[in-house]
Amino acid sequence: MLTKRKSGDAGRAKLQGLAAGLASGTLDRRSFLRRSGLAAGGLAALGSLQLGAVRKAEAAGSSVSGPSVQIKTNICTHCSVGCTVKAEVVNGVWVGQEPGWESPINRGSHCAKGAAIRELVHSERRLKYPLKLVNGVWTKIGWDVAINEIGDKMMELRQQSGADSVYWLGSAKFTNEASYLMRKFGAFWGTNSIDHQARICHSTTVAGVANTWGYGAQTNSYNDIRNAKTMLFIGSNAAEAHPVAMQHLLASKELNRGNMIVCDPRFTRTAAHATEYVRFRSGTDIPVIWGMLWHIFQNGWEDKDFIAQRVYGMDDVRKEVAKWTPDEVERVTGVPEAQMKRIAFQFSNEKPATLIWCMGATQHTVGTANVRAFCILCLATGNVGKPGTGANIFRGHTNVQGATDLGLDITTLPLYYGLVEGAWKHWARVWDVDYDWLQAQFDEVPAKAGRPARTKKQNMETPGITSTRWADATNLPEDQIDQKGRLRAMIVMGHGGNTVSRIPEMVKALEKLDLLVVADPHPTTFAAISGRKNGTYLLPICTSLEMDGSRTASNRSLQWGEQIVQPAFESKNDYEVMYMLAKKLGFADKMFKNIKVENNVPSAEDLLREINRGGWSTGYCGQSPERLKAHMKNQAKFDLVTLRAPKDDPEVGGDYYGLPWPCWGKPEIRHPGTPILYNTNLHVKDGGGCFRARFGIERNGQTLLAEDSFSLGSDLTDGYPEFTYGMLKKLGWEGDLTAEERATITRIGGANPDTVSWAIDLSGGIQRVCLEHGVMHYGNGKARANAWNLPDPVPVHREPIYTPRPDLVAKYPTRPDAREFRLPNIGFSVQKAAVDKGISKQFPIILSSGRLVEYEGGGEETRSNPWLAELQQDMFVEVNVTDAAERGIKDGSWVWVLGPENDAKTKVKALVTERVGRGVAWMPFHFSGWYQGVDQRGNYPPGTDPVVLGESVNTVTTYGFDPVTGMHETKVTLCQIRAA
Amino acid sequence: MSHTIRIALAALVLSAGAVLAQPQPGSPSGQNPTTRAVNEEQLLREFERLDGRVTIPDSKAATLEQPQGREWRTFREGWLPWIAGIAILGMLLALVIFYFTKGRVRLDHSEESGTKILRFNTFERFTHWLTASSFIVLGLTGLNYIFGKRILMPLIGPDAFSALSQWGKYAHNYLAWPFMLGILFMMVVWLRDNIPNRVDAAWLKAGGGFLGDAHPSAGRFNAGQKIVFWIVMLGGIAMSVTGIILMFPISAVDVNGIQLNQAIHAIIGVLFVAAILAHIYIGSLGMEGAYDAMGSGEVDLAWARRHHDLWVEEQQAKTASGPQLGGSRPIPAE
Amino acid sequence: MARMKFLCDADRCIECNACVTACKNEHEVPWGINRRRVVTLNDGKPGERSISMACMHCTDAPCAAVCPVNCFYTTADAVVLHSKDLCIGCGYCFYACPFGAPQYPRVGNFGSRGKMDKCTYCAGGPEADLSTAEYEKYGSNRLAEGKLPLCAEMCSTKSLLAGDGDVIAQIYKERVVRRGYGSGAWGWKTAYRETVAI
Repeated sequence: MLTKRKSGDAGRAKLQGLAAGLASGTLDRRSFLRRSGLAAGGLAALGSLQLGAVRKAEAAGSSVSGPSVQIKTNICTHCSVGCTVKAEVVNGVWVGQEPGWESPINRGSHCAKGAAIRELVHSERRLKYPLKLVNGVWTKIGWDVAINEIGDKMMELRQQSGADSVYWLGSAKFTNEASYLMRKFGAFWGTNSIDHQARICHSTTVAGVANTWGYGAQTNSYNDIRNAKTMLFIGSNAAEAHPVAMQHLLASKELNRGNMIVCDPRFTRTAAHATEYVRFRSGTDIPVIWGMLWHIFQNGWEDKDFIAQRVYGMDDVRKEVAKWTPDEVERVTGVPEAQMKRIAFQFSNEKPATLIWCMGATQHTVGTANVRAFCILCLATGNVGKPGTGANIFRGHTNVQGATDLGLDITTLPLYYGLVEGAWKHWARVWDVDYDWLQAQFDEVPAKAGRPARTKKQNMETPGITSTRWADATNLPEDQIDQKGRLRAMIVMGHGGNTVSRIPEMVKALEKLDLLVVADPHPTTFAAISGRKNGTYLLPICTSLEMDGSRTASNRSLQWGEQIVQPAFESKNDYEVMYMLAKKLGFADKMFKNIKVENNVPSAEDLLREINRGGWSTGYCGQSPERLKAHMKNQAKFDLVTLRAPKDDPEVGGDYYGLPWPCWGKPEIRHPGTPILYNTNLHVKDGGGCFRARFGIERNGQTLLAEDSFSLGSDLTDGYPEFTYGMLKKLGWEGDLTAEERATITRIGGANPDTVSWAIDLSGGIQRVCLEHGVMHYGNGKARANAWNLPDPVPVHREPIYTPRPDLVAKYPTRPDAREFRLPNIGFSVQKAAVDKGISKQFPIILSSGRLVEYEGGGEETRSNPWLAELQQDMFVEVNVTDAAERGIKDGSWVWVLGPENDAKTKVKALVTERVGRGVAWMPFHFSGWYQGVDQRGNYPPGTDPVVLGESVNTVTTYGFDPVTGMHETKVTLCQIRAA
Repeated sequence: MSHTIRIALAALVLSAGAVLAQPQPGSPSGQNPTTRAVNEEQLLREFERLDGRVTIPDSKAATLEQPQGREWRTFREGWLPWIAGIAILGMLLALVIFYFTKGRVRLDHSEESGTKILRFNTFERFTHWLTASSFIVLGLTGLNYIFGKRILMPLIGPDAFSALSQWGKYAHNYLAWPFMLGILFMMVVWLRDNIPNRVDAAWLKAGGGFLGDAHPSAGRFNAGQKIVFWIVMLGGIAMSVTGIILMFPISAVDVNGIQLNQAIHAIIGVLFVAAILAHIYIGSLGMEGAYDAMGSGEVDLAWARRHHDLWVEEQQAKTASGPQLGGSRPIPAE
Repeated sequence: MARMKFLCDADRCIECNACVTACKNEHEVPWGINRRRVVTLNDGKPGERSISMACMHCTDAPCAAVCPVNCFYTTADAVVLHSKDLCIGCGYCFYACPFGAPQYPRVGNFGSRGKMDKCTYCAGGPEADLSTAEYEKYGSNRLAEGKLPLCAEMCSTKSLLAGDGDVIAQIYKERVVRRGYGSGAWGWKTAYRETVAI
């Protein structure tokens, strides 16, 4: 029998061997990449493993003393949990991945994507050099040529159709710095039509949550859920979308013997671990929540003190909830009374309770209203602002939170400064640029179809076009598009092309565009799906693993990622591309005035410092690059549950991990960050707070300020409004300001320094003084159960546009047609037509969509990764066993899924399962590369086609937009399924 | 053998599709999925094997656990070497005893006619030797799977043994095809002459002439030869079918099926080898002159008259020019 | 020496497949070879559980017993390894393995299964620890570096446990006692002829 000694002392010999191979000069980095790509790419036998080939060089004689192994730390680029990636780098080649044990967020863990992330950098299928489509043929060009041609075309279109004719799509995979830079770019170019993935994921969350209590983000953290006694999931499949978060969630369930309630039309992998599974009809979230509240109010289970002290307008909710008797709830949602009562009891009595939601709730025509209902449930039961409670909104991409914060949004400037004069002037001051010059960059809009004209200033203050509707802004007649001209160019940086509903409309629009620029590590669906022949440019961008910068996880913690390796092939990072383009367009000097640029690459640290200088409103002011780097270095010191470091630590003492925003004041005052928003049980200097007094002081005779509620140790022991310099003076606290701070405030305020608020005080003085007094400079207000500025101030149920229950439409119709975001929203007409035509008879199955754990977003990146692609090789539709039997469909066979608009159809494999109930089908949204039954592999530039292609679900998704944010409806439409 | 039977039964039960756990009545809503979690012990009691769903397109990966592997191991390592050993050594022993007690069946040279008759034409002989030679390699390489590591490996060391076995595997896999071809040819050329008839009963009653001095009548093939033919046919077909299944594992049957299949292949294989040992004995050492039939293809007319009288009569009746059976012109066997 | 085992806590496994891709990443395992996989039982029904499965490194391993060329060996840590130099790719270990662990690269037509490949418990093979030859044939040798298998180290929910059998059994026991439920140490009875008694 063979035996072998095993000892544990050999240390890092493996990597040293590798290092020696690289050092021997027999292999350059590029050939290494090529070889390793080959090994990973196909059916190569195990014997030809390419790392081994490299290591042969060592065996050939080099000694083991090669260059040392460097450990680089970055953040996984997939979901928003923020898992630390530890990379082992030898001679500039990423050779291995180790668990990042020290991170309090992931503690070494990854999901399939994180554990395979090394391949993203090595991938042979990435774009390697700039390409241009010339008469339908992909042609290699140089970077300079590409930037020149793109810039010239943009200027030409600007002349003809205005700045708004160019549409900008940024990315939730950007670093904070790149997000900020792109928003700034939009401002300098002169448009507000600059958007990113948040539009289609949590825009409704941000709108709903911010309109309730002040800030549009997850209130607590993944780690804090360990404190929860009851978890209620609605429209969240964390097990597949946020697998590492499940570590904390399952720990909570186990350690507290807690309740884990999963409400979902589909029996998901998350539901499999629930203690209670609630199946309800897609699109009836509000009736479910109102159904719970009906029992809560009926039995007096609400938190009366909390409501009295901290909530405005709950009585208006009671009136609406009273309509949702158990019978009506069951009629609409399908959930029986006993179950409803049980979960209502748990959520209101077995506290702390937290509500977790995701895209299952947000991607609806009633997305914002859904979110509002969730917030109201938390408020009614006092489940917010404490450990173990809160609205735990799990976001979907690495930095979708940060990119939203930093203004890749058509309605805001960076950090939620609105599109108003004061905000523009604030940023003009931060940027050190003339406000009038900025204004002059914008279009003047002529009067059209009876709508008044807009001046440059008015246009500057008008939200842009949402990413869900850009195709309509290209396809619709000019007079329906409320801007100077229709969309004629798209600059897409890091955004999939299969992520928005109604792909047939998008294909038409793509073919109409004069210019399409895709700047991405992969060609994306945009490059392959249409019949474009010219005017398309593909710019190879590196992944954010190949660049420095910070990322904001879902729990608002910022983490600094360091460049692991140099950008692969000829790719460049986002900063450099934006700098080159700004230079070409002539405003680089202005835009990068206070930012160091070396070899065309702007410094990430300087960008963050500029964010710090302007980010007062959201508390992005305290997270200096130095502090963030210290956090990454000291990860192990942060507590698993509280995320706090011991107070006596010299570098990060008392800080919460990643300085979760808001982190108030200048970095020097060392605010620790805010791990739980609105937590009155902590001093504001320890991360405490209260609801934001954002909506005024009173309404209809009722106060909007908190009553008898304030954060721990506050000098003011009741509600109070937002702080201004004038208020400081009234309280007699202005003497606490330094002379320098006062000078800055006076400079900003000009004639009226008293009006200078905490949010535009560039000195940070107002914030500093408030913190010293234990008060929250944003005021101490009530959260709003009635948000009077929204279309439905108290959420009401509205049937989906394409509903399987036309009988309910008369009672619960969608909102009337209206104009939103420069375009008409004709949802009501579409719903009416669908009911009149009896669409639900021809298309009797509800179609919903969602995530797979192996892929992410549009999926081009993950489908190009063979380690992941192998695990999901076919696009599929989940069909209920009974529906399948009725249609003669066998598990694994091909079927056609037909949609009710545009005669859309997709050819996919059937997965016959009881995961979905009868009359419900579900498809993952990560696939593309097939269109209506046709394989489009040949449309990709040679060698860049993803390993796995498939139909996109959005080929069959349909009309429907949230009135507040333009969110598309991808969770409820109708379809028919037939054996192919 | 009981294990083989158990495997067989298990395979039958499993192939009935009972493996995916029981359907739940009604809607899953309102249930507590945590307390309802499946449990290994209970599942194994109910299903013997645990099958589930995997996303990769590899059906065998969906089998989480098949404890039957342990049973197949008991068959292969516990039972098979004994079955094989007893069958083969037992046959050899019997032949040795027969040889020493009964001795070689001699041809009486004084009775030789000097005239030759063509018994097997070139194609028939090619068919025989194609099948025979590949069978010998298949048998030896097959036995190597059972006894190689016990006998050969200690003698030549693991590296040489592994190399040999590797070639043995290739030989076994590739020579299976000429063997199967040979079986097919045999069926075509000899099936008609091997259909049992009344003559065979008499022949068997007379003990084929081994027991007494008289030679019972026989056609082209006597009953003994027919038995060998049918052993080769049925054994060959069984080995071919099970062998092909083994060559393309998990394409026709699942893992339990392949275990059963392998067991059948191995058992029939060793019995087949034992039977063919007897055939080789009689065709060579056991009977003088028998070899010539497959060697040169021609036998002495007298020998033929004694052993296959009915066949000779038939041949002569067919031939217009009387007894010129030994002429240069070959006479077809039929 | 430790007696290394795997234990998948199915009440924690969410079929995220991190174990699968971590394995691919660590050893550069090619397409089509799945040293580890996650199987979901009772898919889509209450009671559904997913279990990550690879070679369990059995006590008295059936693969080793049935191998016609005796290419298997057990390390001092009780890890079941094999020599690809000796393996002839006959497939018998797959028939005997209760867990479907052995994998074969398809290197030609019928009968040409390549050398068997399977989970090495990140412990390499018979060649010298951390040598080039070892890496080429078997992948990394984390055990020799003082680390545990990457699949378990990277498990998203700490469901997959690797380490000394007594230690991981104790961890599992404590979990079950704390939370009040446990669907069992999957595969232990078959692999180790013992289970975790709670």
